[in-house]
Amino acid sequence: MKEINELNLPEDVKYTDDHEWVKMDGDIVTIGITDYAQDQLGEIVFVELPEVEDSFGQGDEFGTVESVKAVSEMYMPLAGEVVEVNAALEDAPELVNTSCYDQGWIMKIKPQNPSDVEALLDKAAYLDTLRG
Amino acid sequence: MSSDLKTTPLNPWHKQSGANMASFGGYDMPLWYDTGVKKEHLAVLESAGLFDTSHMACIMVTGPDALALLQFCHTRELSGLKQGRCVYGAILNEKGHVIDDAIVYNFAPETYMLCVNAGMGGAVSSHLLAQKQSRTVTIEDLTDQVAKVDIQGKNSARILAKILHDPATVFGAMPYFSFKGHFLKGTDQPVQLLDKTDVLISRSGYTGEFGFEIFVAPDKVVSLWESLLDAGKASGLIACGLGARDSLRAGAGLPLSHQDVGERKFVNHPWMFALATTEDGKGFTKEFLGKDALLDSADAPFTVPFVGENLRKVGTGPDTQVIDASGKSIGMVLTCATDMGIGLHEGRILSIASPDLPEGFKAKGLSCGFVLVDRQPNPGEKLVLQENKRKINVVVAGEIRPHRTARLKITNFTG
Repeated sequence: MKEINELNLPEDVKYTDDHEWVKMDGDIVTIGITDYAQDQLGEIVFVELPEVEDSFGQGDEFGTVESVKAVSEMYMPLAGEVVEVNAALEDAPELVNTSCYDQGWIMKIKPQNPSDVEALLDKAAYLDTLRG
Repeated sequence: MSSDLKTTPLNPWHKQSGANMASFGGYDMPLWYDTGVKKEHLAVLESAGLFDTSHMACIMVTGPDALALLQFCHTRELSGLKQGRCVYGAILNEKGHVIDDAIVYNFAPETYMLCVNAGMGGAVSSHLLAQKQSRTVTIEDLTDQVAKVDIQGKNSARILAKILHDPATVFGAMPYFSFKGHFLKGTDQPVQLLDKTDVLISRSGYTGEFGFEIFVAPDKVVSLWESLLDAGKASGLIACGLGARDSLRAGAGLPLSHQDVGERKFVNHPWMFALATTEDGKGFTKEFLGKDALLDSADAPFTVPFVGENLRKVGTGPDTQVIDASGKSIGMVLTCATDMGIGLHEGRILSIASPDLPEGFKAKGLSCGFVLVDRQPNPGEKLVLQENKRKINVVVAGEIRPHRTARLKITNFTG
């Protein structure tokens, strides 16, 4: 497992306590899991994605990430409607391990209240949660 | 890592090699290396994998009544066990529950060895001592005094041959569950590595695939490990952790002690061959501890293998449920792992090692394992395994991973 100081935690995304990241681009938010989450899970073998046009409230479970070791639920960082899912993960779920902020993104949503993003954690605050 | 965990002599090697470490049976053991558990699992099916199993314990049982004590304490009929052969079974208490599962090795008429699970050397030795009574027998717990590595997969013999002295003799007439040599020096018919290290080579393992367990003195195991990896490099041998060991054994239908067998009567399970049952199946061929409890087991639950419809898993233990077609909860999940080397093709399970694979077949992996249920399910019966909100569909299976190699003749793998 990686030490906390070995984690890749970009500055240009926001984080959640549930180890997801979100990135705002216009009125669309891209969601994925963090380097910490993928490292803890180990080799990811399956990602259960929601359907496009599904709507979820903040904190709702929207999918699962399955590694050889464990199954982990993913929770909505903010309320919204799914506009796109990363279909590449169906054949290559390991992209979440190898490229969690780029090719291994999970889905894109249209948030109900885009300003909710501001309330999420920045890198320093997320690091504090990891250090406990 | 908690400081009270024990380590094997290979612990520094694991850590230097990027292993993801975890506690297992009181030992700090590798779950997988940076190659990843999927590649490790597939390596055993396609070529060979190397496992550090030095956390397991050996117990020597010697003396005029060694056989009599083992007959009383082990579930297998041992009277016909030939010298140089070994056999799998269980050690039961008077309730018929499993203290541990164990392989018995017959070295000589008054010299036997038990190989038990991690951390169980003390408990099983104490149990044997308690059952010894007036028998003339010596019990010696060799926990941490013998190291072991398992090489598993179709290239195991060819790789091992490169570091063995006289491999042709060692591999000549070596059936499944036989062994040669000794981890101690000075035995009659030693098996030695090219560097003169004494080893015991047993044609067994915990993957369902052809291969060997190699017992060796602890101070020799690192060089044995490194020379095997070196000898197997060109053919794709890689180090494998406990993750791949668990998924391979689940696909092979083998139980994990204290999980699939444990504190329940050792009946109604897929490993009935491990009991000294009479030919009509109604009784036992010998007296042994736990026998009366097993004969009175009308209310005992059933341990049943399953295979999932895809690779999705659920957790295990008392928080899980097994739901039948009528919606009734009939039990819980004992083991659920994903065999990444198998997949469904037209309703049939195929392995990446199956012959004549149909074009375009891709093994996407299937979940598999064992459930503990309160009635005997039918073969092929559909069940739902549930953990909180998560559900997966499975069917009751007989065999899971097809075309396994463990039992094939050694001559298939030495040419």
